Amino acid sequence: MQIDTIRFTGMLPRVFISESIPVSDVWRSDLTFRRGEYYRVEAASGGGKSSMCAYIFGSRIDYEGTLRFNDTDVATLPIDKWQELRRRNLAYLPQELSLFPELTAMQNIVLKNSLTNHVEIGRIEEWLHELGIDSRRDYPVGRMSIGQQQRVGIIRSLCQPFDFILLDEPVSHLDEENNRKAARMIMDEASRQGAGIIATSVGNHLLIEESITLKL
Amino acid sequence: MKLITRLLRKNTSSSRIAGFILSNFLGLLIIVGGLQFYEDARSLWTSDDSFINNDILVVNKVVSTANAWDSSASAFTKEEIEQLKEQPWVREVGDFTSADYRIWASVAQGGRGMSTMLFFEAVPDRFVDAAGSDWTFDERSGDVPIIISKDYLALYNFGFAGSAGLPQMSENILSGIPLKLTLTSDDGRRMSDFTGHVVGLSNRLNTILVPESFMKWSNQQLGSGAESAPSRLIIDVSSPGDVAIKEYLESNNLEVAGDKSNSSASYLLNVVAAIVLAIGIVITVLSFFILLLSMSLLMEKNRDKLHSLLMLGCPLSEVSAPYVRIVVWATALAYVLAAVGGMVLRQYYIGALRGLGAATGGWWLGLTVGFVLSVIMMAVNVAAVRSKVIKSWR
Repeated sequence: MQIDTIRFTGMLPRVFISESIPVSDVWRSDLTFRRGEYYRVEAASGGGKSSMCAYIFGSRIDYEGTLRFNDTDVATLPIDKWQELRRRNLAYLPQELSLFPELTAMQNIVLKNSLTNHVEIGRIEEWLHELGIDSRRDYPVGRMSIGQQQRVGIIRSLCQPFDFILLDEPVSHLDEENNRKAARMIMDEASRQGAGIIATSVGNHLLIEESITLKL
Repeated sequence: MKLITRLLRKNTSSSRIAGFILSNFLGLLIIVGGLQFYEDARSLWTSDDSFINNDILVVNKVVSTANAWDSSASAFTKEEIEQLKEQPWVREVGDFTSADYRIWASVAQGGRGMSTMLFFEAVPDRFVDAAGSDWTFDERSGDVPIIISKDYLALYNFGFAGSAGLPQMSENILSGIPLKLTLTSDDGRRMSDFTGHVVGLSNRLNTILVPESFMKWSNQQLGSGAESAPSRLIIDVSSPGDVAIKEYLESNNLEVAGDKSNSSASYLLNVVAAIVLAIGIVITVLSFFILLLSMSLLMEKNRDKLHSLLMLGCPLSEVSAPYVRIVVWATALAYVLAAVGGMVLRQYYIGALRGLGAATGGWWLGLTVGFVLSVIMMAVNVAAVRSKVIKSWR
């Protein structure tokens, strides 16, 4: 299966039901993310961008409305199918990164890559070098700064084939130069696979070009 | 070790796992050893009889001083038999038929002859188990199969043979010896010769039994034709241990012949075995919960890691595997230890039991029950691990 579109119909996090929310491009609307397009989702804190990512990734279901991959309502997908999607179709960098602090940077990345066998070790080394953390490859992630951890997370999220990559505030702790490098890297991988990018931010945007901006 | 295993095994408490293995080993050892001992020792009290199954009772009236000379007083009347047949625990009642003629048996062995008077009785063939093809009479061959009480052989071997200077006999030797039977009618006018051979010995029939067909035929040929009431009855009961049977027999002044299975020693063995088994089962069940709770606690502690691995797209089976392996290995180890322990225990008591004359040989029952319990515990724990993984998915 290849995910060509992700469609939101009347979607709303349950916590917002009794509240009056400002006009949004995502909530209570009919929105379609298309494969190959780049999206920047901007929101104030508490606007529900992490919720949006978690809904797409299947890790939360506390919403009203319908979410479809192509024509399939995701509510009907069994767990095993989700696990397969997470290895082959959907890459995700959660805001909290979900790295294993006791493992080294390299081990965290290899752990993901061993599930997909998507990238050569040499390529991973190059990415670490490009983002300036090659000297930290054998450091336990728990002892790294948040910015360094974000870079490890970005590289890990690229270690799989995907139709869409979801990045939840991926560069909130990166300087502009590293932001640009990371954006370049993500766009290269996405365009090579014809994939879509959905990146959220509250302020520091991932510097991707030709993107569609959505207000949450 | 694989990275996933390393992550998920963190917080594993080896003392808790060891605690499970030890308690499960103890529980299983008690079950395995207890059942084994029960099977080995049981034959001391209940001797299985291949000719009469355990549901069958032989009853007679208690002989007292008052009725000692009156043989009709010990006979069952038609009414008494009818009343017995109406009891709810009775499936079927059969008469013992006695021979209505005189029997003279002689053996010629190694040049020395021996002869004695005998008696014959018969019960309906359907009460005799394992009778098979041997338990038939063909008047042309003149061959009569006989089942005798084991007690008779014991009386001969230990009481008579020694003092009379005769050789002792085993069951095999006995069944190989042809008995010359001379049957004479009461008036002495008719006479017939047959060859008898012992086809088996019974613990539960205190008589010398011949096939029903032979009894009918010979009574017709040699008997006086007088009808006699049976003094013993053979009863097929639905539940031999039923208290109602005992009460009925007592109130009607009846006794059961050759009955060893209901003796108090056997009852005691059953009670002790049940208590020991219950203790073993309680310990095993508790150990099962130790494992269930330790795995649950371990997975709870590692819940974030489980969740993160599932977020990376790890297949559920791969995430469960480190825990499933702990469950399988710990349970299997406890069972193997208990099985070996049971075998070692058996070596200690088996000599003493054999010395008492027990027909030992029940080693597989304990092992099978232990194995089945272990497999059940393993399966439930593996299922619990799987469901816990699924719960940490979202």
